[in-house]
Amino acid sequence: MNLFKEMAKAVIDGDEERTVSLAKEALSKGVNPSEAIEKGFGEGMREVGRLFETLDIYLPDVIISAEAMTMGVEVFRQYLLGQEGELSQKTVLLGTIEGDVHDIGKNIVKIMLESNGFKVFDLGRDVPVLDYIQKVKELNPDIVAVSALMTTTMVHMPKLIDALREEGLRGKVKVMVGGAPVLPEWAKQIGADGYGESAMEAVRVAKSLAGLQAEGKGDGR
Amino acid sequence: MRDQGKFFDFLEVIRRAESGEMMKEADYDKKLGRRALALMKQYKIRFDPQSVVPADDGLADRVYQAAVDLFLDLGVYCTDTQRVIRFTKEELDWALENAPREVRYGREEETVSVYPRKVEDQREPACFFSAVGTPVTEEMFLPIARSYAQEPLADTFSGPLVTSYKGILVTSGSPVEVEAAIWNTKMLREAAKQAGRPHIGIHNFQSTGEKTDATIASAQEVFGAFPGDGLLVAAIAEMKVDFERLKKVAFLRQSPYVLGALYGPLMGGYAGGPEGTAMALVAHHFLGLLVFSAERHNSFPIHIHYVCNTARDMLWLISAVGQALARNTDLIIASNAFMASGPCTEMIVDELCAHSIVSAVSGWHLNPSAVAKNRHPMRCSGMEPRIHAEVGHAVARLGLTRGEANRMVLKMVEGYEKRLPEAPVGKTFDECYQLDKLRPTDEYEGLLAKKKKEWKSIGLEVR
Repeated sequence: MNLFKEMAKAVIDGDEERTVSLAKEALSKGVNPSEAIEKGFGEGMREVGRLFETLDIYLPDVIISAEAMTMGVEVFRQYLLGQEGELSQKTVLLGTIEGDVHDIGKNIVKIMLESNGFKVFDLGRDVPVLDYIQKVKELNPDIVAVSALMTTTMVHMPKLIDALREEGLRGKVKVMVGGAPVLPEWAKQIGADGYGESAMEAVRVAKSLAGLQAEGKGDGR
Repeated sequence: MRDQGKFFDFLEVIRRAESGEMMKEADYDKKLGRRALALMKQYKIRFDPQSVVPADDGLADRVYQAAVDLFLDLGVYCTDTQRVIRFTKEELDWALENAPREVRYGREEETVSVYPRKVEDQREPACFFSAVGTPVTEEMFLPIARSYAQEPLADTFSGPLVTSYKGILVTSGSPVEVEAAIWNTKMLREAAKQAGRPHIGIHNFQSTGEKTDATIASAQEVFGAFPGDGLLVAAIAEMKVDFERLKKVAFLRQSPYVLGALYGPLMGGYAGGPEGTAMALVAHHFLGLLVFSAERHNSFPIHIHYVCNTARDMLWLISAVGQALARNTDLIIASNAFMASGPCTEMIVDELCAHSIVSAVSGWHLNPSAVAKNRHPMRCSGMEPRIHAEVGHAVARLGLTRGEANRMVLKMVEGYEKRLPEAPVGKTFDECYQLDKLRPTDEYEGLLAKKKKEWKSIGLEVR
């Protein structure tokens, strides 16, 4: 079994000690950190995502795998800090829209995005439109991702897009939306750049919007 | 009027929300998953795909005991204070002992008494006809609500919600939400009057208003909300509450309205698979009783990917939880049907039938139904709860056993389960109802008649 396969297996198994030791082994062999994360840990997490989509595993298992991956990635991050470098990552500003306190879906999307190499700034739940705007100015993310679970909160989404436009930020950031009541037609109607029905689809759409490889279906229009 | 002395002290709940153990929410979520998995092994609880209606009393009792352990160990998380509200075994036992054995909906000739049911109960389930907040247009709100209220098997009803009011989007927290919420209550009572049932109970007279101020603003007799109507307060999945919900409780527990609690754990989510989610759903009933002072309980467990509860593992979960509660408590519980497919499709008739059989034989009352994954506008009608309720009544009348129910349901599930991910969204209300007569189209009624013949051939005679 080669190193990348072992790294993938350690993530699937949720084995923190193993992801850390394999990351150290990769560094000692001079493997490029970004390549190790993408082909090793990332492949493991993609398999975890596939297993979750078919419910061969459940959310607690996904969380354990994601934490194991995070521990391994941290080894590479610390190494790069010592070299005065950093991991090149696309960034997502994520939150559940104003008035909505339901965030399980948003949390799953966060795990999947982080597991696929994105740096995620999680604003939490019930996030006012103005908070998104301030954070877009402050963090300059590649993507703003917004979820809603209720019809009466979903209607804040176009307000966010309007506010981005009014602040002159719309051309600088992509917007993707999702959540139980959000339909692709609605996403199109309000001028969102992308829509994902599931967490895995959200990852595919985010990759497409961020100019990374995209695969399968998903609405990264 | 409710007897406050029979419920756990609500102010003590608030004290505990402000003084209980501090915990990060993510740690609470992870603890739920770990404990549910450990209890699943300890109590030997396993989902059997061939036994969607398990006829094993021991399994039901183990699910119940595991849920008690889970609830006492985990407590309830308050997201506003980031603290855990915990209860003792003695407090839980006391609350269960004193829980209401009856709730009454409606007035005068429409008064309905709802009692706890038992497993394989031959008393007909109460049927709470509900549009479960399906988004509809302002123009169609009234005829759609009336299509529920006019159904003969509707013991109570509730309505859809409007996404815009007088041309303005109804946004959570805005003044328009309050305006629309008041209008919502008025229209439901008007629907009851137009259906010739002015005194029928409205078990949840507010769907459009989500915020507490909008809900309370609409709770006035002058708007049509009378004693004998009710409201539902929803827990946050999983096992969480916040001050917004507790403010509703503060009002409702002193009001003349029936306080129902609503639980929608996600199967595949923080509690894990069907076994862990079954424990979590039973535990949610303890949350409702102790934290919300709920008089009755309404459950809509949901499949995390299919957004319905008619998949094989979901039906097992519903049956196991119903049996666990019916065998070990006198709580008044209702099973809320969430269909993957939409109106006027063969699939929805089968889904409704399977869900109703499982629920009715397992000790639940019936709360049909959300359809088309509860997300497609205008896709709901009084016909779906009619189908569900007719089947539920038949299950009781025929005295169906769990074994017989399992045989029938397996046959139906095998027919539709592969289509759950991409279920047909079906027809909109105006496509499946004759608007001038406000009755289902011949096509929709014909579909049901055809299915009734099929069901008769497997021993389920539905009138």
